[in-house]
Amino acid sequence: MLIAENVRKVYRVKERKGWFRQQWTEVEAVADLSFRMVPGKIIGLLGINGAGKTTTIKMCSTLLTPTSGTITVDGYDAVKDDRFVKAKVNMIAGGERMLYWRLTGRENLQYFGSLYGLQGQALHNRIDSLLLQVGLYEAANTPVERYSKGMKQRLQIARGLINDPRYLFLDEPTLGLDAPIARQLRKHVSELAAQHGKAILLTSHYIHEVEELCDEVYIIDKGRLVAHDTPEHLTKSLHLDTALQVVIPSLSDSLDYDLRQLVLDYGGSREIAETDEQTWEVTLRGKTDMTTPLLSLLAAHQSPVLRLSTQQPSLEDVILHMADRRGA
Amino acid sequence: MKQLGSLLLAEIIKEHRHSFHSKMIYFSLLVWPVINFVTAYYSFAPFRMGADSPLARFISYEQLPLFLLTGYLGYIFYWCLVQSSWQMSFERQAGTMEMIFISPVNRLAFLYGRSLSSLIEGVWLFFCFVLLALFFVDGIQLSGWWAPPLAFLILLVSAIVWGGFLCVLFLFSRDSSFLYTVLDEPMLIFSGVRLPPMAFPVWAKVISFCFPLTYALQLIRALLMEGASLQTMLPSMGLLAAVLLVLVTATVVLLKLAEKHMKKTGNMVMY
Repeated sequence: MLIAENVRKVYRVKERKGWFRQQWTEVEAVADLSFRMVPGKIIGLLGINGAGKTTTIKMCSTLLTPTSGTITVDGYDAVKDDRFVKAKVNMIAGGERMLYWRLTGRENLQYFGSLYGLQGQALHNRIDSLLLQVGLYEAANTPVERYSKGMKQRLQIARGLINDPRYLFLDEPTLGLDAPIARQLRKHVSELAAQHGKAILLTSHYIHEVEELCDEVYIIDKGRLVAHDTPEHLTKSLHLDTALQVVIPSLSDSLDYDLRQLVLDYGGSREIAETDEQTWEVTLRGKTDMTTPLLSLLAAHQSPVLRLSTQQPSLEDVILHMADRRGA
Repeated sequence: MKQLGSLLLAEIIKEHRHSFHSKMIYFSLLVWPVINFVTAYYSFAPFRMGADSPLARFISYEQLPLFLLTGYLGYIFYWCLVQSSWQMSFERQAGTMEMIFISPVNRLAFLYGRSLSSLIEGVWLFFCFVLLALFFVDGIQLSGWWAPPLAFLILLVSAIVWGGFLCVLFLFSRDSSFLYTVLDEPMLIFSGVRLPPMAFPVWAKVISFCFPLTYALQLIRALLMEGASLQTMLPSMGLLAAVLLVLVTATVVLLKLAEKHMKKTGNMVMY
């Protein structure tokens, strides 16, 4: 298990004050953050830009030293016993860096594999298996510079798995990828946890990705943990509004009045807009489901329903709500 | 040991594919030093080079081509490593440096492996040229068959140690490229590539002894031009060994400091 306890990271940043003067200031990127990674589970780290997600990943993968706090991986301290920790972890970042473009996919994996002490037939077999796994076997001997963005990302995944790590850190792994490729990668990540028992920490700007993949979510803001739960509990616990949308052909004054009363009774809010098709779109927001009373009301007014839909609060709403609340 | 061999092989392939991808590079690696050598040789032509010339106290006119050949061979060995260390900034920009330091690879093996592979790629062509040229120049004096291989070994080992040291310096900061300017041209001038350091004024002699190439060239010339025996060379070899030991120690200490610095500041990815 990876256990991060009260981890803090402070950077010293130089600010220019004219030609010859400069001033050093301290920026707290991560503050008092604690979390756990368990084999077979995917945890998500969410937050707005500059929340400290990448810094957290780099501290866990031994690339950065925490200013204070501890990170232990299967009992090994990530700072003092980093050699043992390095054998157990790896990181995959989005984008097209972290590869040698003039080398082929196979040569890249050979090089990175040799850094982990892999050699000979064992390395060869591992590379073949990874290339097959990520669907790059046919393109193994093509220079990376000729790969598409999606192929480079898949090679990144193979590189990140070359040492068969128990703990895998994915920093925006689907950044800039086309939807079908991103979906394929999500499936692969899910399999890595479920079938191969990897403990995965995922950061992503695509909230639906986190909702789909993660067993638990940690929401951080300015380096500080503000919420931690399963995606479902997070959306429920904040009691965010459910949006109920109905499209009707006409809106009489009496119906408008009754709708206002209904919203008042349920402590919600409403929005009414006329559409281009000469119909009315009524949106009711509230913490309680208003579907049944709304349909009864429309029946009483003999108003046909052209379309009805419900939108449950998403993790994205949770993030936005928290950002608003902390910004206020 | 087998793992080290595998790492070296992977490093050689990487360097080869990455930095020596075009045949024209090899062409330049031969032509550039040859032009330098020819330029240096003919620079001496307008000057008086007889027995009473100032330079004759340190080197005879007949041995000048051999002096310059050995000088340029040594310089190319060391120059390749300045270039290779400078390329560390590429690793920083490409993000591959993070991927190297996230792994448990032995950092010294990586640095020296990188130096060795750059060296092999960078010097083999000019090395062949020098070997061929040695048949046509005067003044070769050897104590035994072992002298040329020993000279090669001295150059190889000292250059790799130098390369490892430079790589560490370039690890400290993305702004280390000034070291390229500081190390390249002064090394050519002061290490005795074109002129014997003993002909320098005292202040220049002090600078020349800061470069390990100076000690390596003294040994190589003693082996190939003076027919020195092993016994007479022992003090100079001891001196070079001491210099290399200092460099290796500095490399180990600085490597630890550089990695600690990068982990503290996060500058492993800044470019």
